Amino acid sequence: MLNIKNLSVKVIDSDINILNKLNLEIGNGEVHAIMGPNGTGKSTLAKIIMGHYQYEVTNGSIKFNNKDITKLSVDERAKLGIFLSMQDPTVIDGVSNSEFIRTAQNEINGSKTNLYEFIKNMEFSLDDLKLDSNMIHRSINKDFSGGEKKKNEILQMKLLKPKFIILDELDSGLDVDSLKIVCKNINKYLKDNKECSILIITHYPRILEYIKPDYVHILKDGNIKKTGDMKLALEIEKNGYQIIGEENE
Amino acid sequence: MNNIIYLNGEEHKEFNLEEDTIIYHFSIDKSSDITINLNKEDITLYYYYNNINYNDNNYKIRVNHNKSNTKSFVYNHGVNVNNSKLHYWVDGYVPKKSNGCDCNQDNQIININDGNSKIWPNLLIDNFDVNANHAAYIGKFKEEDLFYIMSRGISRKKAYKLLLSGFLLNTDSIDKEKISDFVDEINKL
Ligand SMILES: Nc1ncnc2c1ncn2[C@@H]1O[C@H](COP(=O)(O)OP(=O)(O)OP(=O)(O)O)[C@@H](O)[C@H]1O
Ligand SMILES: [Mg+2]
Repeated sequence: MLNIKNLSVKVIDSDINILNKLNLEIGNGEVHAIMGPNGTGKSTLAKIIMGHYQYEVTNGSIKFNNKDITKLSVDERAKLGIFLSMQDPTVIDGVSNSEFIRTAQNEINGSKTNLYEFIKNMEFSLDDLKLDSNMIHRSINKDFSGGEKKKNEILQMKLLKPKFIILDELDSGLDVDSLKIVCKNINKYLKDNKECSILIITHYPRILEYIKPDYVHILKDGNIKKTGDMKLALEIEKNGYQIIGEENE
Repeated sequence: MNNIIYLNGEEHKEFNLEEDTIIYHFSIDKSSDITINLNKEDITLYYYYNNINYNDNNYKIRVNHNKSNTKSFVYNHGVNVNNSKLHYWVDGYVPKKSNGCDCNQDNQIININDGNSKIWPNLLIDNFDVNANHAAYIGKFKEEDLFYIMSRGISRKKAYKLLLSGFLLNTDSIDKEKISDFVDEINKL
């Protein structure tokens, strides 16, 4: 599904290097988790996969289903089936959630979705996520609580049906019950879409207890320093990242 | 709200209001000069000015709070398409005799190219017992907004269009049939 080779990334028009020769391979249907200290480049990795305008690939490649995507525009990547649930979803005043999601669906499917079907699916999905139905008429993420913003990301995921999902700190901002509900939705989606892969960026093992990872990677200083499984996540929770540093020295 | 007024096109007008009023003012490439007198206590004005600009134009609006406890909320949104001049003068006047007024203005101009856009927000306030706010923004749409929209599969062009209509039709209560020319003009951008 996703194949990242020797990827180095810097901030555009600067000499700030964030990722340094990073390698990551994610197969169909796999769940990967990335943990790592603050400011090590986890969100940057997520954003460069999506094609964010602030970052530039200086070395290596990102392949999605064997196709190099580093030159593609953001919307072209989304149309291939890549979806990024953002750490801090953007507020956009004036554009309603429903108009936004409907336009996105039309663009991704290349055809106009039937309005009745759209509303029906929207209502089901809102209900699944325990979101208030009035939020679809409101401006995108405007005056949403932290948790509502995260749920809105997953609402979009459910309706846009991606093949590869990146969850950047989905668990921050969600209360215990909401996290459970949201993860239940994601697991249901994975069950219905067996080929779909996920990359979970998190600081805490809790979300990984709901969505079981096949691999857990530790990102530090712009590079994956260690790969393991759930046990590694629990070890980090217990002892912190110093264990990684020690092993390297 | 009792009174709803739609203005289309070139306007040099003075309104003497004695009831709660919403004015929707849609302007395509025109200059305007508007004066509004709030002539009865406790009334509220909402003024939505939305403008698409191609050539050199000026827009002046002045709200006079002639009575106590009057409120005004003025939203001026412009899109300056070419490299022309688009100047806004936005005055809110609260004289000494008017107590407890609320005087607000929010001014924004989006430059599509390198337009010469300027805003002079002006709160002329002679009474301390007032709540007054103004905000002004001149610039482009934010790249972060475009990124978010495009990350859901929407092309840059369509993303721009969503932002433009969100910006220029900035309240749900507009009756779009009354401003079909303006809506057509947005679609041409
Ligand atoms: N546009 C930018 N300009 C300058 N520095 C940047 C920019 N974007 C990211 N950085 C820096 O790059 C580093 C990595 O940032 P990133 O957001 O990827 O960290 P992170 O691993 O996601 O951290 P957190 O766990 O706190 O979310 C940080 O030191 C950050 O300050
Ligand atoms: Mg981050």
